[in-house]
Amino acid sequence: MGTTTEINTDTIQSILKQNKKQIKLGLAMCAHCSLCAESCFLFVSHDNDPEYMPSYKFINSIGKLYKKKGKVSRQVLEDMRDLVFEKCALCTRCYCPFGIDIPALITLGRNVCRSQGLFREYDREW
Amino acid sequence: MTTFSTIFSNPVFLNFIKGPMVWLSFIIFGLGLIVQTFRLLKLTQIKEARRVAPEEDLSPQTDLSGWERFTRYLAFRRVSVLGSNACLVLISVIFHVCLVVTPIFVMGHNVMLDTSFGINLISFPEQISDILTKFVIAGGLIFLMRRLFLRRVRMISTVNDFILLFVAVAPFLTGFLAYHHIFNYQVMIVLHILCGELMLILIPFSKFFHMVFFFISRFMIVSEHSMGTPKRSWQF
Repeated sequence: MGTTTEINTDTIQSILKQNKKQIKLGLAMCAHCSLCAESCFLFVSHDNDPEYMPSYKFINSIGKLYKKKGKVSRQVLEDMRDLVFEKCALCTRCYCPFGIDIPALITLGRNVCRSQGLFREYDREW
Repeated sequence: MTTFSTIFSNPVFLNFIKGPMVWLSFIIFGLGLIVQTFRLLKLTQIKEARRVAPEEDLSPQTDLSGWERFTRYLAFRRVSVLGSNACLVLISVIFHVCLVVTPIFVMGHNVMLDTSFGINLISFPEQISDILTKFVIAGGLIFLMRRLFLRRVRMISTVNDFILLFVAVAPFLTGFLAYHHIFNYQVMIVLHILCGELMLILIPFSKFFHMVFFFISRFMIVSEHSMGTPKRSWQF
């Protein structure tokens, strides 16, 4: 189990600060309607597993980081890595009725993960 | 209920919520909308559209036969939200239209406008307003059920969502109960006024602001799914 000391909170916070307006607007305007679900091919191909829903992915990656002001444990960030790298192909096909740019927000989540040395694990066995 | 009745029939309280409080909520609503819309527009800029295809490819094809147009429409339906969630889209549209239209055209409101300011607006017959109100309440109930029982919605729901859904439906529910004299009329009508005022005040500062955000985002911002001829893009 990792601890917060392994995480460079300052780097995360500077990414959050740079993109504050975009994250804030995305989180504030998402009506949690779940209409984006079917637009994700991974959601459909994984038996409608809600964890593949575009809104779930951005709320629980960059949204969670924003709400916790970047203070998360290594374990939480590793779970986020799974969400933004393994559960999203960044195909940009997701549709939001409000026009929220979900891929851009997931990209920010990837930025944060990458800044902490967390990437897609191509050799991982599932 | 009796204590409520005594507070709610207190003339000072009644005059306050029927007079200054109405003005205050409308001012907060109006100014809030203007300020928040301005703040949102400041995040956007008019930008030259990035050319992704030659001009002739961008213009819509007009030489398609009726059959081709129909099959293209079917293909569009298949991949769009209309195809995957037709029922929910329909319920949502009905809910939102009724939510906005009913309070403007309900006879009770317009009679008050007429007696206070002599403004005579068109009103719906009472039966129609009653049906539209039922649509709003039913829509709210369906949304609540989705939030409670559909795993994908429950997973992203917060307490805030339930509160806002309640705030949105409460004026209609209390108005309905008051109109039909179910429970205590005096209590219901006071609750109706209070809920309406609360909703107006909350609109610019909560997720209700999607009533403006939707139109800016879908009609003014260039994107794959934008409607109309937008010229702006986000400048975060």
